[in-house]
Amino acid sequence: MIELVDVWVQYHRPQWALSDVSLKIEKGEFCFVTGPSGSGKTSLLRTLNREVTPTHGRVLIGGSDILRLPDHKVHVLRRNMGIVFQDFRLLFPKRVFDNVAVALRVQGVEGRELKRRVFIALRMVGMQNRIWDFPSELSYGEQQRIAVARAVVNNPRILLADEPTGNLDADLASDILGLFKEINRQGTTVVICTHDKELIRRFGGRVVSLQDGKLKGKDRP
Amino acid sequence: MRRLPARYFVKETANNLWQYKTRHLFSLTIICLSFLILGVFLALSNNLAQKARELSGDLNVVFYLQKDAPDSAREALEIRLRGRAEAGEVKSIGAGEARELFLRRYPDLADIVRNLKDNPFPASVEMALSKPDIPTEQILRIIDEVKSDSAVEDARFNRDWADRIRSLSRLARAAGYFLGGILVLASFLIISNVIKLNVLARKSEIDILRLVGGTNAFIRMPFLLEGTVMGIAGSLLSLLLVLLVVKLFPIYLGSSLGALQELIGFRYLTFLQAAALVAGGALVGFLGSLSSLARFLRV
Repeated sequence: MIELVDVWVQYHRPQWALSDVSLKIEKGEFCFVTGPSGSGKTSLLRTLNREVTPTHGRVLIGGSDILRLPDHKVHVLRRNMGIVFQDFRLLFPKRVFDNVAVALRVQGVEGRELKRRVFIALRMVGMQNRIWDFPSELSYGEQQRIAVARAVVNNPRILLADEPTGNLDADLASDILGLFKEINRQGTTVVICTHDKELIRRFGGRVVSLQDGKLKGKDRP
Repeated sequence: MRRLPARYFVKETANNLWQYKTRHLFSLTIICLSFLILGVFLALSNNLAQKARELSGDLNVVFYLQKDAPDSAREALEIRLRGRAEAGEVKSIGAGEARELFLRRYPDLADIVRNLKDNPFPASVEMALSKPDIPTEQILRIIDEVKSDSAVEDARFNRDWADRIRSLSRLARAAGYFLGGILVLASFLIISNVIKLNVLARKSEIDILRLVGGTNAFIRMPFLLEGTVMGIAGSLLSLLLVLLVVKLFPIYLGSSLGALQELIGFRYLTFLQAAALVAGGALVGFLGSLSSLARFLRV
């Protein structure tokens, strides 16, 4: 499903954000990417959704090299991926409904179908009763649930999460991770970047470690 | 492929216009003023062009006779002019008749004329042209020929006036294009900057749209619509103000300009001109937004 082949990413010389990263994540896998701050976790995720173009290497998703994708086609890749951030990135002037609906609207989904799919996504994260609230009226944990609903409303093949529990306490973090596990059980490949070792221990799954932009342990090439 | 959601764009545009209403109101005012200047000069130019057309349709040569010229000389000139192919209607006006005509047309100046001992108006013979497109050189040759007659003191050909008014109309239009052009350029820059501010203010929203798979067109459309709506609204408002100027200016001026009032008047824009102004407003708004998006919103 996801394959990185000899990927090098550099923002500023002489440091490499990712160096010589080769990694394969199978379809339906639940994978943690861990490592200290600055180890390259976020760069890895940003490479997967083509926010960052590697200096060298190949990134294959479903067998296609996404680096060969012309700029005007990148949206097609992103529509097949859900993404969740540490800071939720919600649209605060808009209601919960619109925050989730935005991922469908960019695809031209409107009307009843839009409402139905938004409701299903919100029910999945247990937020169907807060549909007309504004994000500012919700707790952090609830805000992150909305972000998860937005990420899964398209039924993406891949769900990427960058420190999704970084702003949450242990109980809320467990709730959110539980949601990711549920989404994974339905067949979505889930890649979560986190440095929370306790959470990784509790939920299990594959763990990929990064240190100074390089893979560590058994994933090292 | 699904269509872009038009209803969503309209709603987003309306929300955004309302959310940043102060800056939008400011740019709307500038657009309106720019197109108002353009519209007022066009209205002035329309009036002058109309006057020039009226004069052109009524082209004539007036030969003024010497004060002591006998009536027989006037009659002889009248007969002579009637024999020319270039002549349409030929009309003879005696000195007394000319005085009466003046008193009727300009009653304000009647006292001055009445206080004069002698009648200052000469007798004249007016020759209308048989066709309006007779070359000026041909008319001037006739004038020279007729003026060689010792009874004729002077001649006046009103095509000069038509040409002058037409030039004035062109000048007014050029001044409007120049001033309006500068202001329209300013509007363009202001719209561009307002959209830039909007893009910066909504950067996080744009990032989210980008990450959930929004296309360039999807993300840019509400901004383009904002600019276009501002352009259209500004130009429509300017048309309304031009209408007010056209209606209120003569009332404000009264009859203080006398005969000049006919020239310094306004004639409302033609449908084509009004449509062009609105289309111009839309274009300026659209391009202003586009230039800003090209620089500040690369998806």
